Amino acid sequence: MNPVKSTAQWSAYVKGVLIIALIVGGWTDGLAQESVAVRAPLISGALPVDDPNAAVWNSAAPAVFPMSPQVHWPDRIQEVTVQDLTVRALHDGTQVAFLLEYDDPTEDPDDAAAIEFMVGDKKAHFAHGQPMLLVDGGPVNIWFWKHKDGKAVDMWAKGFGTLRPHSHQDVKAKGEYANGKWRIVFSRSLVTDHPDEDMQVTPGQFINIAFAVWDGRKDATGQLIEKGSQKAVSSWWYFRAEPPPDYSGYLYAGVAAVLALGFQFVLIRKLKEGQSA
Amino acid sequence: MGRSLIRPIVIMGVMYAVLKFVLPNIPGSAELPFSLILLYLLLTLSGIIIFETVSAESKDAFWGPMQKFLTGDNIGGLKPFRYGILIFFPLLVGWQTYNATAPSGQPPTESRVIHPAPPGEYTGLVNPVPRTPENIMQGKGFYAAFCSPCHGANFDGKGPAARGYNPPPANFADPTTIAMLQESYLFWRIKKGGVGLPIEGMPWKSAMPRWELELPDEWIWKIIMGEYDGAHQSPRTWE
Repeated sequence: MNPVKSTAQWSAYVKGVLIIALIVGGWTDGLAQESVAVRAPLISGALPVDDPNAAVWNSAAPAVFPMSPQVHWPDRIQEVTVQDLTVRALHDGTQVAFLLEYDDPTEDPDDAAAIEFMVGDKKAHFAHGQPMLLVDGGPVNIWFWKHKDGKAVDMWAKGFGTLRPHSHQDVKAKGEYANGKWRIVFSRSLVTDHPDEDMQVTPGQFINIAFAVWDGRKDATGQLIEKGSQKAVSSWWYFRAEPPPDYSGYLYAGVAAVLALGFQFVLIRKLKEGQSA
Repeated sequence: MGRSLIRPIVIMGVMYAVLKFVLPNIPGSAELPFSLILLYLLLTLSGIIIFETVSAESKDAFWGPMQKFLTGDNIGGLKPFRYGILIFFPLLVGWQTYNATAPSGQPPTESRVIHPAPPGEYTGLVNPVPRTPENIMQGKGFYAAFCSPCHGANFDGKGPAARGYNPPPANFADPTTIAMLQESYLFWRIKKGGVGLPIEGMPWKSAMPRWELELPDEWIWKIIMGEYDGAHQSPRTWE
C-alpha cells in the first residue's frame, strides 16, 4: 500500500461506511411532521399558569392547527373568524399548561375557547363524543373558557345534549387580549382522581386533543354570530407531555457494540488457531 | 479476493437491486418494507452458503478467501478495508440496537381505510330517481346547499369549510374517489356520514354529517346524480 494515499483512502472508507450505515439502518426519521402534535417539554421552574406572556412559553415549540366552521351537525355555520390556532404546552411533572393563541380583530365579552380530550382508551368522536354507529366510543373531557366569566369550566360529554360541567372543577384558565390577539392559558394537574371523566396525562404517551373557538362578535341586530355549535373547530390531533430524557438506548447500543466486538475478536482468534493448526 | 467470492457478492448485490428498485416498479407492486428485503437477502445468503459448502472443495474455495481477508498477512491494499469492516460491524450492531430500543417520540401512525367495505344492505342498490336533466339540476342545487361548503363548488374537496378537517373532504374530481365507487356506496356514505364508518375508517375523525337525520332518501339520490354530473365522473359498473 502506498502510504501517501492512505489519508484519502481512509476518508473514502469512512464515507463508504457512513453511506452503507445509512442504507442498512434505513432513513427512519422521515420528514418532520408539522403540527400533528402539541408537545409539552418538561421544565424545572414554575409553570406560567397565570401568565400568557411569560418568556418560558418560548421554550415550547408552537403547533399550528387549521380551524373549520363546525358543519358536522346543526346548527351549522359557514364562516368563522378564527382560521388558525397556535398551541404551546409545558409541564413540570405535576401540572400541565396549554397556551392557545389566535387572531381576533375585536375583544368581546363572549369570546371563548375550548380544548377537548379523549378520556380513557376508547376512541371518541371529535364532535362531543357523539355515538358512532359501528364503534363503541368513549367520552370527552372539555375545558371551556369564556372572556366574561374569566375562568375555566371543566366539562364532560358523551354525545349531543350530554355536555355538563363536572361536580369537581380542576381546570384553571386565564386569558389576555392585546394587539388583536387572544392568549389563553389553561392548566391542570397531570392526573386527577376521576380517570373516568378527566383526561389523564402520562408523560411519553400521546393523547388525542381538539380545539374550538367562538368569536363573541354580534351582528347588526345584536345577536351573537358564533354561539353553541356555531363555532370554529379543529380535528383530532395529538398531545404529549415529553418524558424526562431517556439515555438507556445509548447504554444498550454500547453493550451491543461491545458484544459484537468481542464476537469478532473470538472469531479471528479461532480462525488464526485454525490456520496455525 | 478469490473468484469464488465475487459471484456471491454479485448475486447479493443484484438481489438487493431487484428488490429495492425493480420490484416496486412492476405495475401493481409497491415498495418493499426494509424488513422484507432483509429477509429475502438472508434467504439468498443462506442459499449461497449451502450451495458453496456442499463439497469440501467448494467449501475451501468459499471460506478460504474470507479467512485470508480477515486473518491473512499479505492482503496488501485490502488491509484498511479489513479494519473498516472490523470497525463498521460493531458500530452497525450498536446503531441498530439503538434504533430498536430508543423511544421514537413520533405520534402513533394511523392507517385509515379511505373506502371501507359497506354493510351488505348498501351494496348493489340502484338509483331509483330517473336520470333527467331536471333531477340532475335539482341534485346540484342540493349539493350546493349541503355539500359544497366542504366538498367545494368545483367538486374538488376544497370548499371554504374544508381547511381544518382531517381527513380532508373527498375530492370527487379525483378519479380514485366516486369514479371507483357505485352509487349505492355513495348512498351509504351520505346517509350514515362519518359516524357510520366501520372502525378501519376511523369514524371518530370524520366531520361528514349523518344526512339521514336531515335529508329524505330521494334528495340523497339526486345529490349523487348531481355529484357525478358536476365532477364529470361516472359510477363504477360491473364490467
